Amino acid sequence: MADLKIQGLAKSYKDVRVLESINLDIASGEFFTLLGPSGCGKTTLLRTIAGFQHQDRGEIIVKGERIDHKPAHKRDIGMVFQDYAIFPHLSVADNVAFGLKARSLPKGEIEARVNESLKMVRLDGYQDRLPGEMSGGQQQRIGLARAMAIRPTLLLMDEPLSNLDAKLRIELREDIRDIQRRLGITTIYVTHDQEEALAVSDRICVMNKGNVEQIGTPFEIYRKPLRRFAASFVGTMNFLPGQLEGGRLRVGSQSIDFPVDASGPVELAIRPENVELASTSPHGGTIALKGEVLKVTFLGREAHYTLRTEAGEIVAQVADPAQDFIEMEGRPVEVRLPLQKIALFRLNGDVLDAGQAR
Amino acid sequence: MKRRVRFDIWTFVLIAAWVILIALLIWPLSSVLHASLLDNDTGAFSLVHYFQIATVKAYQRAIGNTLLAGFGGMSGALILGVTLAFVTTRFHIFGRALIQTLAVVALVSPPFIGAYAWIVLFGASGVVRKGLDAIGISIPPLYGAAGVILVFAFKFFPHVFLITSGALASINRSVEEAAESLGVSPTKRLFTVTFPLILPAISASALLTFVLSIADFGTPRIIGRDFNVLATEAFNLYGSEVGGNPGMASALSVALIVLSMVIVFGQRWVLRKNVYHSNLIKKPERKRVGGLKAVGLHVLAYAIVLIGALPAIIVVLFSFRRTSGPVFQPGVSLQSYERVISTVSDPIWNTLIFSSTAVVAIVITGTLIGYLISRRPGIATGALDATLMVPYVVPGIVMGIAFITRFNEPPLALTGTGLIIVMAVFVRRLPYSARSVAAALKQVGPNLEDAAVSLGYSPSKAFVKVTVPLILPGIMAGALMSFVTAMNELSSSLVLYVGSTITMPVRIYLSVMDGEYGTASALSTILLAMTVIAVYAAFHLSGRKESALL
Repeated sequence: MADLKIQGLAKSYKDVRVLESINLDIASGEFFTLLGPSGCGKTTLLRTIAGFQHQDRGEIIVKGERIDHKPAHKRDIGMVFQDYAIFPHLSVADNVAFGLKARSLPKGEIEARVNESLKMVRLDGYQDRLPGEMSGGQQQRIGLARAMAIRPTLLLMDEPLSNLDAKLRIELREDIRDIQRRLGITTIYVTHDQEEALAVSDRICVMNKGNVEQIGTPFEIYRKPLRRFAASFVGTMNFLPGQLEGGRLRVGSQSIDFPVDASGPVELAIRPENVELASTSPHGGTIALKGEVLKVTFLGREAHYTLRTEAGEIVAQVADPAQDFIEMEGRPVEVRLPLQKIALFRLNGDVLDAGQAR
Repeated sequence: MKRRVRFDIWTFVLIAAWVILIALLIWPLSSVLHASLLDNDTGAFSLVHYFQIATVKAYQRAIGNTLLAGFGGMSGALILGVTLAFVTTRFHIFGRALIQTLAVVALVSPPFIGAYAWIVLFGASGVVRKGLDAIGISIPPLYGAAGVILVFAFKFFPHVFLITSGALASINRSVEEAAESLGVSPTKRLFTVTFPLILPAISASALLTFVLSIADFGTPRIIGRDFNVLATEAFNLYGSEVGGNPGMASALSVALIVLSMVIVFGQRWVLRKNVYHSNLIKKPERKRVGGLKAVGLHVLAYAIVLIGALPAIIVVLFSFRRTSGPVFQPGVSLQSYERVISTVSDPIWNTLIFSSTAVVAIVITGTLIGYLISRRPGIATGALDATLMVPYVVPGIVMGIAFITRFNEPPLALTGTGLIIVMAVFVRRLPYSARSVAAALKQVGPNLEDAAVSLGYSPSKAFVKVTVPLILPGIMAGALMSFVTAMNELSSSLVLYVGSTITMPVRIYLSVMDGEYGTASALSTILLAMTVIAVYAAFHLSGRKESALL
């Protein structure tokens, strides 16, 4: 098992900085996800760790040893690719045995490891098939088995599920998580799908424009975003303009006690599931806004209400909506924002520590 | 850490590729340009040859004739090829495989065989002409401009056919249906939707047939009579024992190259925006038609391919006819073959040896350069790719003249050796091989190699273990097609051969010029048979894709 340290890693393509001094500390056996929109540098970071690209500055340290001077094929890092990268001219078994042959293992051992790996990804019995006859999901399982068979010190996955359809994606991501837990292999996983990241990770690193925005557990990333970008990229978030002044927070025409040591314009953020509509009785401090229901979207187990309030448009999510939900459209409603559930962001994107105000 | 310039095996390949191109392409061709700018007698710099091109009637006529042959051959090939492609992709035609086979036969049969076979049929003492004469119909013999254009049209239409049918077959049917639902009639739709969509394919094949037509030497030489084009004029001026004019020959060669380049850049300019990406959802379907229309379509399709394949068929038939000296007699015999085996078997061996040597060199160099182009983009490789365009526009005659001027003196006195013929074929065919490998590599995707590297193989091992097996069928098919073109190479060999290094195409050409039609037919048939075997093998290796034969 291996831990990974990345220190001051930077890379530019010509004039474009794709990675700006990245620092990461990944524990042994951790499932660590790089999450961000396309072009945020996450794939570049992954490929630099793998050795397919070279950093301009910085160090990559695995088990206390620098690996960034080693060529890719000597780093002993397993990789799973977005487009599977299964060798189409080799059978399933030969694909999985490919890396083992490079290590000149005895024949018996190779066969044993191939079978073990295929069993692990539930493809036992497909040894002699050609990849062309197999579905995308099966091909990615081969890719996973192939990477795991060499028992790498690190496992890197570059958006492994994004070419699969929704149902397979969920199925395979559970498998990946289970296998990773069982083998305890340190894994770095790249995705732009925030739901996927929340579902599989021990920790998530939210990236944007070559910078690390926030590192934390899925719960921390979702519930306690430290940066406006993390708040808006992960899940849905409502943002309303507000103003802090003399210990009071003003939103729209509403003003409420908010004892923090700060003043000036802020953005108030709140998740749709935390927005309360007037029918519920308030508990604790809330901001109450007058609003009107613009649109109701019924999704089965929940409904989304698009509301126009005096401070701006927001979305509220109501679980298990009652039958008369549709008649809400066009009606006035009182919108309540519970103070414990809101976050405030300064204009530079940093969160305002509002611990004492809650 | 500073970014290092990394020297690896590919750096070496890049340098070697440049050395080869400079030695075998740029340096020889520079001799042509150089010679064209020198006065023959004084050796001083002079523009006298170019001045003569602009003033002497015969040269102006050669330029005019070259353009006529080029545009005529191109138009004829386009009409025949696009028609055949449209008929076979949009209507249900019986025997599509046969039609494709005949088109391929026309494509691969040695270029000058066409001219020769047409003479056998419609020449001064042509079989058909005499036959028609006997029943009172008199037609003029098929010489001159009309003959040349006709031969080009029926010789080069398979290129157009194969390229455009590929494009026609990949038009999304929904697009055409959408046009129809918007109220456009089928005929109007053809011109407003279908043709614009296949314009890139049509213009690419037009360019190809034009360049092939103006570079062709054998056809205008055999069937043109006094229809002089730049290629024949350059050859005459260069080759004649007395009154040779190397400076003028070089100037005409430069004019020929410039003409080709103008057309190439013209096509690129026309197509600068017209690249359409279509995500194919519904394949176009072939309509079933009945009655007279069906008969007409079948007659049209079969007439085109049968006339195209006619030269090959004629040559095979005539090779079994009895001859007495140069004159054909009634009856069947193996006389011609006996004579070929007993007296002129050298060309066969020379052809096989030269072609195989050239192909081995082409495959190895082409694969490495193709890899560079597609996987190591950079200024040096980009320039390499651009330089590789040059052989496309340099006719064989010009390449021959360039080689013989450059490699005539020590330390590189290669004139008269087999090596010089091999080198000329090598450099002429190298771009095709490199381009096809580059295209094949684009299909493979670099992630496969990355995967192999992540599993512990060094980059060069990953290339050998993963990429090579995947592109090998494509490389082999390309190699066989290079072998076919190498075997059928006439124009550069004609300039470079001496008695001991004569090849089959040269021997056939000389036999035709001497009127030994029996020998020519037998040799042509042997050449055709070897060609067909190679093509058949290539077809199978490439997974039965006609596009591999281009």
